[in-house]
Amino acid sequence: MLRAGKPLFTLRPFPTRSVATILLLLAVASTSQPVRSQDGILLPGLSALSVSDTQDAAIAFVNMTSSPGLEGATLELDGEGRQSQQWRSSLGFTAEVTLKQSVFNAYWGLALVGASLHDEIDLIADNGQPVHLDLTRHVVGLRGSLGLVLPIDEHLKVKPFLSLVRSDLNSKSTIDNLSATGPSAAPSGEARYKTSSNLLSSVATIDASYWQWRGNNKVELAAQFNLINTNSVSGDTPWLNVSSWERSVQLKGKYSGPTSLVSVGRPWRWNAYATYTDFISTNKFSLGYNKLIEIGAGMDWQINIEPLDWFGWRSIGWSVGLIKGDNVVGYNIGVTAQ
Amino acid sequence: MNGTRVLLICLVIFIAACVKAPVFESHNQALLRSNYPIVRLNGNDIEPSYSLTFAAGNTTAVVVYRSYRYEYACHFTWDAAPGTVYEVTDQEDKYPLTLYRWVRTNRLWASRLSPLDPEQCVKN
Repeated sequence: MLRAGKPLFTLRPFPTRSVATILLLLAVASTSQPVRSQDGILLPGLSALSVSDTQDAAIAFVNMTSSPGLEGATLELDGEGRQSQQWRSSLGFTAEVTLKQSVFNAYWGLALVGASLHDEIDLIADNGQPVHLDLTRHVVGLRGSLGLVLPIDEHLKVKPFLSLVRSDLNSKSTIDNLSATGPSAAPSGEARYKTSSNLLSSVATIDASYWQWRGNNKVELAAQFNLINTNSVSGDTPWLNVSSWERSVQLKGKYSGPTSLVSVGRPWRWNAYATYTDFISTNKFSLGYNKLIEIGAGMDWQINIEPLDWFGWRSIGWSVGLIKGDNVVGYNIGVTAQ
Repeated sequence: MNGTRVLLICLVIFIAACVKAPVFESHNQALLRSNYPIVRLNGNDIEPSYSLTFAAGNTTAVVVYRSYRYEYACHFTWDAAPGTVYEVTDQEDKYPLTLYRWVRTNRLWASRLSPLDPEQCVKN
């Protein structure tokens, strides 16, 4: 017979020390300052564009593409003296692996990420003349994640996990009206640069997700903190040999409910969501923004299958979202799978 | 090139053989499998198990969902059909666990059908 208060099953001890150590490391590392290989001015007579600004911009672009939790987006920035267009996309999956005999489960995931940026910035040279920077960047990367799923109760799960992201970044830039910057500038008045670098990012993430049912409607809330260490190595551009720490936070709310639609015997559910993403420690000058809010809606088809008799695939669907940030507007049209 | 072909063929064979329907010893049997321990079947306490073959018909089972704050003893009652596989899993639904009828669709995937909530989940 079942008796209240008596454990039904002997549990493996909770790895409190391991999780506490991870949390302590996250807290200590989150106070770390960025480490840069060098500082100074990129071009004589153009102190408005420093080496560290350029390093920050390259790292920020990679991190805002490859960090866990980010979804696809097409963004357009229209700021004072700066216009840019950017898109990012990712294709991947995450899965929870049941560890029988343990309260906690394992978590892993793989994703292919990519992004492109076209940035145009008007700068003022030291002699007061305007200079135009035209920059294009492309990044492609592969992200692998591994961690734990800790069910706290029937409504709350906490996931601490680590991700490694290997990415390749290529940039092309043109600086016009260089003759305005002084005698050492290119005689033609235009300079073209091509840079490439290989990056390895290590990301420590802690994610908490909470859900509650109200009849047939479901409320989901999630919070995620990422601590990102990115190391860039470049054979052709010495100042791109750089290491940097970044922090980001993401908050997400989702409300979903049933519909009367049924396809191949499987029901559809509607959903509405809002997401707030903040790259806390990223210099706003790097990409022109560091905070984004997305509001959207979608439909999920509850296919509920088990591919390869291995992991559950609950739904596949689509979503449309509008994105807003400081001087940034954008949208996200994507396919979703859970 | 040959090595790559052999690797691809092996991969296809491996994937194509992934989803297999269980073979029952008797035509009146059903199978219950779970990611969480099954601790009681048809009113009898049993050693925690993750896969059980049992006689088809009206069936009761208690499966335990474990979390750090509580254990939830989820009580299921259903009419098990002969030669059928049932699966208990965590889908973040209204209750901690849900019972599905597991059906092999093809060699690549199986379907989870006819979701059934537990009658109750007792928090311990």
